[in-house]
Amino acid sequence: MAEWLSSLRLRLRALLRRRQLEQDLQDEVAFHLAMREDQLRTSGAIDAGAGARRRFGSVTKIREDLREAWAFAPRMSSLLQDLKYAARTLRRSRGFAVVVVLTLGLGIGANTAFFSIINAALLRPLGYADADRLVSVHEGFPQRGIDRFPFSALDFDDFRSYQQSFERVAAYRNVPFELSGGGNPERIEGAKVSANLFRTLGVNPIVGRSFSTAEDRPGVNVAILSWGLWQQRYAANPSIVGQTIQLDRQPYTVIGIMPATFVFPRRGPQFNSQPADLWVPIAFTERERAERATMHNNSVIARLKDGVSLQAARAALDVLAGQIAESYPPVLRKAGFSPRLAAQPLREEISGQFEAPLLMLQAATGLVLLVACANVANLILSRVAGRTREFAVRTALGARPRRLVQLLLCEASLLSVAGGVTGITIAYWAVNAVPAVIARTIPGLQDVAIDLRVLAFTGVMCLATAVIFALLPLATLDRGSPGDSLRDDSSRTTLASRKLRIQRGFVVSTVGLAFVLLVGAGLFIRSFASLMSTDIGFRPAQVVTASMTLPRTFYTTATSVRTFHESLYGSLLALPGVRSVALATNLPLTTYDVRAFTPEGANIPEGAQPTTHLTWVHGPYFETFRMTLRHGRFFVNDEHVQNRSVVIINEKLADLFWPGEDPVGKRLKWGIAASQAPWLTVVGVVGNVADGPIGAEPGLHAYEPFRQLPEFFLNGAVNQFGRDVKAAVLAHGEPRALAALIRQEISTLDRELAIQNIELMDQQVSDIVAPQRFSTLLVGAFAAVALFLASVGLYGLLAFTITQRTREIAVRLALGAERRAVMRMVVAQGAQLVAIGLTAGLVVSLGLTRFVTSLLYRTNQYDLVTFITVPAVLAAAAFIACALPAWRAARVEPATALRAE
Amino acid sequence: MGADPSKRADLLQGTLELLILRTLTTGEKHGYEIAEWIHVASAEALSVEEGALYPALHRLELRGLLTAAWDVSANNRRAKYYRLTANGRKRLKDTTESWRRTSAAINRVLEGT
Repeated sequence: MAEWLSSLRLRLRALLRRRQLEQDLQDEVAFHLAMREDQLRTSGAIDAGAGARRRFGSVTKIREDLREAWAFAPRMSSLLQDLKYAARTLRRSRGFAVVVVLTLGLGIGANTAFFSIINAALLRPLGYADADRLVSVHEGFPQRGIDRFPFSALDFDDFRSYQQSFERVAAYRNVPFELSGGGNPERIEGAKVSANLFRTLGVNPIVGRSFSTAEDRPGVNVAILSWGLWQQRYAANPSIVGQTIQLDRQPYTVIGIMPATFVFPRRGPQFNSQPADLWVPIAFTERERAERATMHNNSVIARLKDGVSLQAARAALDVLAGQIAESYPPVLRKAGFSPRLAAQPLREEISGQFEAPLLMLQAATGLVLLVACANVANLILSRVAGRTREFAVRTALGARPRRLVQLLLCEASLLSVAGGVTGITIAYWAVNAVPAVIARTIPGLQDVAIDLRVLAFTGVMCLATAVIFALLPLATLDRGSPGDSLRDDSSRTTLASRKLRIQRGFVVSTVGLAFVLLVGAGLFIRSFASLMSTDIGFRPAQVVTASMTLPRTFYTTATSVRTFHESLYGSLLALPGVRSVALATNLPLTTYDVRAFTPEGANIPEGAQPTTHLTWVHGPYFETFRMTLRHGRFFVNDEHVQNRSVVIINEKLADLFWPGEDPVGKRLKWGIAASQAPWLTVVGVVGNVADGPIGAEPGLHAYEPFRQLPEFFLNGAVNQFGRDVKAAVLAHGEPRALAALIRQEISTLDRELAIQNIELMDQQVSDIVAPQRFSTLLVGAFAAVALFLASVGLYGLLAFTITQRTREIAVRLALGAERRAVMRMVVAQGAQLVAIGLTAGLVVSLGLTRFVTSLLYRTNQYDLVTFITVPAVLAAAAFIACALPAWRAARVEPATALRAE
Repeated sequence: MGADPSKRADLLQGTLELLILRTLTTGEKHGYEIAEWIHVASAEALSVEEGALYPALHRLELRGLLTAAWDVSANNRRAKYYRLTANGRKRLKDTTESWRRTSAAINRVLEGT
């Protein structure tokens, strides 16, 4: 320590008096030489000066060494020099640099992208105090085959009163709200929460206060805002606290604002996982508390007491579940409704199921980076082999081995930094390419960002890659002393045989890997193509849709709902450029209601009651979506009147119950055979329409006129029934222009009503295949990377061997070998490796494709087109990779090459 | 990084430093005097290029085992004189000690047969 301090002090002083130091170094050496010269002269030497210098050694080198010893950060100056030199070298071989940077960029980019996902999904803290102690608690009815279920209000009450393992327990559920008053009305995601939720999470509002227990009862309208909502809608004005806002047309008093970092609920696979923009007390109503085994929609979060382990809490929950079951009516218990309680750490619940697959994918991309490094090492080797003489000369001229290492490391660092920058760019692009549909399913994926931790990860990766691919060539450099390299090729040949085996292995396996991935990509592309050519049963073109939800608290009566329908229909139809308008409870690609039904005369065995999707339509729905009429007719206008008792069914339903018959005129009713519902007459049969994911087996579907909907359905004060309104407008021409007009019309009808979205139907079709498009893109990208890596690997290897064999080739040429023969020899060498790789890839692919069959749509796992195209593409790429070095080999000038050796 | 030469250099360097420290126990000297002294004392056994002495001297100075001061030499030239510090003395003692032990062990092995 003392030595280190004294050296620091002296170096600092030297740094401050640079000229003095320089003078001192000069003087000291000069003094020595002068003294020696004097001594030699007195002893009668002929040339005393020369003798003194000879005995001293290289004056320049000693002075250089001394200067280096005193330099503040030793080797800094030489480092800069090497960096400059490396940059110059790389600029001269631009093709090499580009390939290396791209290879590294792809490897680093893939890893950065995956790490940023892992970072967002697994590493980033939840933002709650002591989040490790938070657990989520579920109910379950194992006898009914339900493992996890949210709590009913009554069960939650019991759980809260009797449990002893938790410091606090809180319930919550997602509820959307219409937020209006001041500014445009909007549809926001909210959550109803127990008064103590924020205390349970250990996060307090930054402005105002959280809920009091007294506020957790029906009729108290208070709300807490999220930071985001406060910023966007209320311009971060703190005086909003204490003011009133309109939620579903009811006044709520804002009492607090949560901090920016607070997100609750967390997005994930669990129930109730939509991050809320505002929170209101859960305030269970008498009706919610009326019955067991209904309305299981409350998620529960709890904080373990100090000293209570998760195991202990779980054991206590088992006992508690038995107690709660006691209060269930015997009828329910006999039917298998006997609750169990289960607890799981919150973190695990949110992201647990993604941990293994994400880490596996990260490992796989890590492997890709390794292959990239190996390829780069290959390329560098082929260059280093060509530069063996340069290094030998440098060593002979006195460059110390450390300096050579430094030079190589400098080159490697420059390349890997450039690769890192490319990688981050690729990662940024890749992360943003993840479609929202997929982002919604993985927690944290929507907030994936290239943050500091990700950058640090990339930095470490760059460093590691630089070290790996710089050291590989170095290992070969060390094999012989400079003399060997200057004298002959003996060191090269031994080196070659040992290194080449590994490199050949690399090339073969990358070719094989590329084959497998290309087959995967090929199958996915074929599957996607057949998906896109599937008949979805309707024509989305030129249709624009709008969806809105009428707040139940305002549209209380059936009349108010019907009036809204009639007015909206009329005003949309009056818009210019509109061909037809239809309103419905749901649009194609989505479903709304599932009903049990009884076809007339059918013998329905117990427990096999058929169910069908049901859509209520208003106006020419089938005409607007241009669906196919199979039998009978569409609804006619005067049928949009109550109690005409007509129904239109889809082909699937007709084929199931009236196969080979004319279904028109047949009757069905809702509910079981004994139900009091009226019989409905089938007036038409329409072609099957995709109800969800395209390509899925179509389900049963029935359509009823909205006007036929019984009054009491719409009057229900609890039910949201019939208040979700979708409007579909078919335009004469370009539908985009209609969006603004539609918005305006709706706003004229009800200024407070929030429009959820106005979209083109085309867009919705495209969104629904987004997951397939994305996985096709992903596999395709991986395949492209693998193909690129395989080509680079092949090229690097051949280029390396050719540099090794320049002399041999020169001799062959000098002895009269044809240039074409030389090219053939090189290509043959590559072709052999490619052939092995292709065979291995083919065998592995044939074995692996069965694992993706479930993901393929109408595509054979041994799809001939794919299995012919892939080897062709690979062979073509490989041929280019072989042809370049072959061409170079053929251009060897025997005279020059031999003289150079 | 030829393995053998670098090891030889390390050994040489350690020895050279030890010799420099030993030389200075008799009082302060400049570089030329040290070179001469080593040359004579080691009975010309160590044939080092004289220049190699200086990096070693400067390293010892930087490590605080020696201090240096500029003065005028006997023949009226500007010369840099080196002197042992307390640390240097201690290091010499430690190193000599271990050197003796090593060479004693070697001697025992060699003469024990």
